[in-house]
Amino acid sequence: MKTVILTVLLLISASVVATEDSYEFDTPQQRQLFLSLTEELRCPMCQNQNIADSDAMIAHDMRRKVYNLVKQGKTGDEVIDYMKTRYGDFISYKPPVTPVTMWLWLAPVLFALLAFVMVIVRRKSTPPEDMAAKLAKAEAMLKQGDK
Amino acid sequence: MKKIMIFGVPLLAFLVLVVFLFSGLFSDPRELDSQVKGKPMPAFSLPDLMKPETTYTPEVFKGKVTLLNVWGVWCVTCAVELPYLTELTEQEGISIVGLYFDQDLDPEFGTKTLNRVQQEVEEITSRFGNPYQFHIFDVYRDTALDLGVTGAPEHFLIDHNGVIRMHYIGDINERVWNNKVGPLYAQLQQEMAQENSAE
Repeated sequence: MKTVILTVLLLISASVVATEDSYEFDTPQQRQLFLSLTEELRCPMCQNQNIADSDAMIAHDMRRKVYNLVKQGKTGDEVIDYMKTRYGDFISYKPPVTPVTMWLWLAPVLFALLAFVMVIVRRKSTPPEDMAAKLAKAEAMLKQGDK
Repeated sequence: MKKIMIFGVPLLAFLVLVVFLFSGLFSDPRELDSQVKGKPMPAFSLPDLMKPETTYTPEVFKGKVTLLNVWGVWCVTCAVELPYLTELTEQEGISIVGLYFDQDLDPEFGTKTLNRVQQEVEEITSRFGNPYQFHIFDVYRDTALDLGVTGAPEHFLIDHNGVIRMHYIGDINERVWNNKVGPLYAQLQQEMAQENSAE
């Protein structure tokens, strides 16, 4: 009996949390889409915040717009494109791959490759024979010291 | 050769970094590439703020060069530029139209009445100057969003064909007018005169 009451209470509390959001959706998928879109879209006013996070007026308006578009059944890409035609590529936190932005992905890879090559080259430039010779010399010196 | 590599490569990398960071000092992160530049005014049908029975469409911009000023009474910088804008209209006869939007007049949780907004606009313009021909009232702030407006004040220079030629974010003062907006305004006036004489 106790578990039944507890379960019911838990279920009720979950629905209370859900209604705190002032936007209501027809399906959970729409809500999910809205949440992911507002996280991906960047606020043009407070540039280091997404529109889910920002309290600027423009962020409020953009959230409202995203909500309306999602409600109309627009896909995520359509909503992003809608914002991009108005605010430019800047508005999305996912930059498109162009000859200019390509370096964002290429530069770290190239850097890692360069470092890897340098490690290998360095390793080759110190021949192990040298080390062996030095060790032998040191041993000889030690032996001399013993005498 | 090895010595050049050891000193040269880090030095080169350092110099590139210095140039990159130095140019960053003078870049304005709020300056965005306007998406509406060179495009006709997006479609709208909005009421006049003072006489809501009058409705405006993009047609209203045809036939003359207009400076569209996005503003609101809640915006302090907008009030600051009012005296200079008024001076501009008086001295150079520039046609300035307001695109008004209100913060508190939230379409969904409205707290302010239209009367109150009109009253506030009257108060501000009588105190700081009134450069406006009329105000287009962007009730749901949809047109502002279509124009890529990020806040206020922002300005759009619209030519006589109703095409947006410049999107300027921030207030217009003497320096901005003389260096940025004014020259293009003169050019647009010239274009209009040329087209009119050609016809």
